[in-house]
Amino acid sequence: MNIQFKKGVLELCVLAILDQKDCYGYELVNELSDSIAISEGTIYPLLRRLKKEGFVTTYLRESQEGPPRKYYQITEVGKETKDALLGEWHKFVNGVNDVVAKESE
Amino acid sequence: MTKKTFIEVLKKNLHMIPIEDMNDLIYDYEEHFTLGEAEGRTEDEICKSLGNPYDIAKQVRADYVIAEAVEESTSSNILRAVLASLGLGLFNLIFVLGPFLGLAGVLIGLWAASLGVTLSGICLVLGMAFRPLLELIPYVVVSMPFGNMAAILIGIGFTAMGLLMGIGTYYLTKGGLSLTARYLQFNYNIISNRKDNPRKGARDEN
Repeated sequence: MNIQFKKGVLELCVLAILDQKDCYGYELVNELSDSIAISEGTIYPLLRRLKKEGFVTTYLRESQEGPPRKYYQITEVGKETKDALLGEWHKFVNGVNDVVAKESE
Repeated sequence: MTKKTFIEVLKKNLHMIPIEDMNDLIYDYEEHFTLGEAEGRTEDEICKSLGNPYDIAKQVRADYVIAEAVEESTSSNILRAVLASLGLGLFNLIFVLGPFLGLAGVLIGLWAASLGVTLSGICLVLGMAFRPLLELIPYVVVSMPFGNMAAILIGIGFTAMGLLMGIGTYYLTKGGLSLTARYLQFNYNIISNRKDNPRKGARDEN
């Protein structure tokens, strides 16, 4: 099992959400914490790293309720990475299911 | 914890990363607080859900410094990366400092040896060349168990060997630095996934 995988799972989730639509930081954190128990503070460094690696870009959009919000957008490279991570995830889940199925025989 | 304290802890512990990266990150957290408060959450609630700002800063620092070290393996980058890695816990004292000191020791030894051999070669050649002059100084005797010509050739040979050793050590050092960078990356990846890591004030983080 790949050690990088655990970190990659959070990466996968972020990229998967951004693949659907552009989000601003807080929105992303909320969507994630609805489904997974995470330390919300670690999402922003993750986003920063994804931006540095070219998987996402940011832009500012005016908002009615105050200062312009920073939106995150997935890039082509980001989409490819997301697909690769998704493939690994499916392999992992299927592998675990195989093992568990064998155990219960 | 208040929002002010949280942000201040981050700023204080991130002063070494590029200013625009730090400002970017701080902007994100401030926005997070603003939006959270608009939803009716208290500063304290938001701080709790964000986690320990010291740990966040440590992770950002290690992330940044290690990426830099892999990109450009200069001795100062590597040293910074080693120190940041050590900051990540006691675990690293054994698995990072130990090997690093060992490697540094070997390389320093090789540099010293190269210098020594080169210098002895140069001294041999110069000693032979300036023998008449040197022997004018009272009590100085330049004597070799082999002929003059042989001495000069051996001297040149030593110098050349010393220089070759130096060149070899230079490449070994570069290789060693880049290897250290990669090892630190590997090490960081492992420990940032350990939940039983004896970190100071460790919190259960993903």
